[in-house]
Amino acid sequence: MNKNNAKIVEDYANIKGRSLWVDARRRLFQNKAAVVSLILLFFIAFLSFFGPFFLKFSFSDTDWNSIYYPPSLNNGHFLGTDGNGRDLLVRILYGGRLSLSIGVLATLVSVFIGVIYGTIAGFFGGKLDIFMMRVVEILYAMPYLIFVIILMVVFGRNIYFLFIAIGAVEWLTMARIVRGQTISLKEKEFIETSKALGQSNFMIIWKHIIPNLAGPIIVYITLMVPSVIILESFLSFLGLGVQEPLTSWGVLISEGSREMETAWWLLIFPGLFMTITLASLNFIGDGLRDAIDPKEY
Amino acid sequence: MRITMIKFITKRILIAIPTLLIIVAFSFFMMRIAPGGPFTNERALPPEIENNIKAAYNLDKPVYEQFYIYIKNLTKGDFGPSFKYKDFSVKELILNGLPVSVTLGLSSIVISLFIGSILGIIAAINRNTVFDYSVMGISLLGICVPSFVMAPLLSLFFSLYLGILPTSGWNNGNIMNLILPITALSLPQIAVISRMMRASTIEVLNSNFIRTAKSKGLNSSYIIRRHVIRASILPIIEYLAPASAGLMTGSIIIEQIFGLPGIGRYFVVGALQRDYTLVSGVLILYASLLIFLILITDIIRAILDPRIKI
Amino acid sequence: MPLTQKNIKNNNLLLDIHNLNVFFNTPEGISHVVKDANFNIKKGACLGVVGESGSGKTQTFFSITGLLANNGYAEGEAFFKNTNLITCDKEKRRGFLGKSIGFIFQDPMTSLTPHLKIGDQLAEIAIYHKKINKNKALERAIEVMDIVKLPSNRDIINSYPHELSGGMKQRIMIAISLMCEPDLIIADEPTTALDVTTQAEILNIFNDLKNNLNIGLVLISHNIGVIAETSNEVLVMKNGQILENGETPEVLTKPKNEYTKHLLSCIPPWIGN
Repeated sequence: MNKNNAKIVEDYANIKGRSLWVDARRRLFQNKAAVVSLILLFFIAFLSFFGPFFLKFSFSDTDWNSIYYPPSLNNGHFLGTDGNGRDLLVRILYGGRLSLSIGVLATLVSVFIGVIYGTIAGFFGGKLDIFMMRVVEILYAMPYLIFVIILMVVFGRNIYFLFIAIGAVEWLTMARIVRGQTISLKEKEFIETSKALGQSNFMIIWKHIIPNLAGPIIVYITLMVPSVIILESFLSFLGLGVQEPLTSWGVLISEGSREMETAWWLLIFPGLFMTITLASLNFIGDGLRDAIDPKEY
Repeated sequence: MRITMIKFITKRILIAIPTLLIIVAFSFFMMRIAPGGPFTNERALPPEIENNIKAAYNLDKPVYEQFYIYIKNLTKGDFGPSFKYKDFSVKELILNGLPVSVTLGLSSIVISLFIGSILGIIAAINRNTVFDYSVMGISLLGICVPSFVMAPLLSLFFSLYLGILPTSGWNNGNIMNLILPITALSLPQIAVISRMMRASTIEVLNSNFIRTAKSKGLNSSYIIRRHVIRASILPIIEYLAPASAGLMTGSIIIEQIFGLPGIGRYFVVGALQRDYTLVSGVLILYASLLIFLILITDIIRAILDPRIKI
Repeated sequence: MPLTQKNIKNNNLLLDIHNLNVFFNTPEGISHVVKDANFNIKKGACLGVVGESGSGKTQTFFSITGLLANNGYAEGEAFFKNTNLITCDKEKRRGFLGKSIGFIFQDPMTSLTPHLKIGDQLAEIAIYHKKINKNKALERAIEVMDIVKLPSNRDIINSYPHELSGGMKQRIMIAISLMCEPDLIIADEPTTALDVTTQAEILNIFNDLKNNLNIGLVLISHNIGVIAETSNEVLVMKNGQILENGETPEVLTKPKNEYTKHLLSCIPPWIGN
């Protein structure tokens, strides 16, 4: 009898969830800016991961006959070359792979840490919550770049460590949001019902709270990825992030800004790719936020 | 009112102290576990330097005593010797870079707050007009074009193309040298602040108490001055600390790009050269500054919003 | 009462409405929220406007006073002091608002500015319209607080809105509307957010205003009991149309319209008039 009731409660929570998604999806697709951004983003991601297979240059091919070539359609260097004769377009695409991957992976790391931290703080409340949020407040106020730089300095510039360092700094926002949502969810009746039916705390968190967090989490993922990409680019720009022979947009922009007087394309094109990606992510995030929680204006 | 204000400030300071302690502990232990740092035996140092370091860090004493001495020195303003520049202490290096960074930072925060707020309020009052769309568009640019893209672009345009501003250098604080860096540094913050102010003002304009103000027959400018501004500015006050953190981060990049010898520049060089004491010192400096700012923000907020219990 | 040109010049008529229509421009088209309204308000009398949510009762009076949202517009005539408030200059209309026409809103909890003291919020309306100095305005504020039966001492004057209860705040709203000695006060659901005891006190205050100060009142409510207690005449509105218009005793005992009959049947039998 108990198990049956538990299932009914669960199904109820799930049904409510489903209609919310259908509604949200409809609203999202009505938002023109978001749709255009989705297409652009997908295009850039596709290009970055599959594009290089179609281009005749590899990203480390040096062509000493065509160094500092401006963009042209003739010789196949569509976006020009750099000081080593390397094709810019290919390097931008490879850079895209790295920047986008770091963006997504580091964000996932911070989501993972943030969700666990936030649900525990929000669900169990009391002194534990106060203490945990105190720590978050303290860390939140610190200039994150400095922290990351210190971590990189101390532990070396390993690319895997880059993920961890960035994730370790970005989880704070997620933790705050998750905690807030958990607290408001905790008050809702279906949680009380589950408790009354004897579900363990862990099951409640796993089956009821986390699925309902999906909405805000997705919104904030789309808003966090750009800031992670920017963080990685900052580091690479300063020479502390991605190292040769790997390249990212940050590295390309850094090189480009040094050569911009003679080869403007080395700055403009990577900058353009980065800006479009960031803008698209922002619009998609805004669109998702409006779709899930519309406000009248 | 006065006594409660003092109690409020004291309470806040008491919370700030452990925060600072944690940061200090972090930098202390970071230095010790860092590979290749001053405390490992990986590097073969000339004996004089080795002795200097031993003396400076009291390596013969137990760890907790080292920590205590470290804190004691900090309160005296002694951050220890630089690990790379043998004749300089961290304090001297920081003091060298301070005027530059302070000029840059202070100007930027004032400009960002001012311009951002004004743009936001005007955009909110004139919603859906050309002005509004322009402000929103520019702010989007400020958010999506990272400062290390924007700064070289500005440089490209104003210095190389138009030739009216110098590309880099401090030049003893000459105004012309400051214009580009301050602009590049402020743009992202202006973008965020104008959006915030716009959203906040719109919310206030739609609120019930503004409806009441209108029903009194008061004219728009009076209502905006007396009722709207103070109500919409609250979120901006809260943003002061994060804005400053953002400016600190940004200044590191900007000083690098424009070749300004500020603290940020020292920090980057220190990071690249693994000058741990310098890097820790800068961290503690920035952290203290931010904690101080948060305190100021709390106080201002309590003054502006009578609903906050003091 | 027949509506003729004579009545407009009649000294007793405060507000005279003819063929009032209110529209809203919405993404789904033009919404016609008030359809051809005709009625008037007399000095020292109270007009009750009853109807369910969305019947257009609030928008009618928003349109007359210029408080409509940006996408709304009105057509028709609303004569007040020989001026058609619908077609006149906006500045002129705003000149009446707060000075000769007072408006009281529905939710007192959020209708006062959080960062200004009560005294300031009362005084500013008198300072603005009558150009008197702050001290004189505060004296008037204390007078007015007396009328709404608030303790007329400095405590409330120096408090902030969040320190007062809902009932006190609603009295302050009434006080604000009285500061410049208005001729007409429009109250939109003034007691809906309050408990029953406070409600009774507020309604008493309204009756006093009508009888002692000869102010013309409009009382909008979806609660027909409130209307019965205070109004001389009643308008029944539904879907933007005035279905019934007459003196309160008549409308309540011999309703002509089906909808009115339906509304009346919802009143508990122990509310008498």
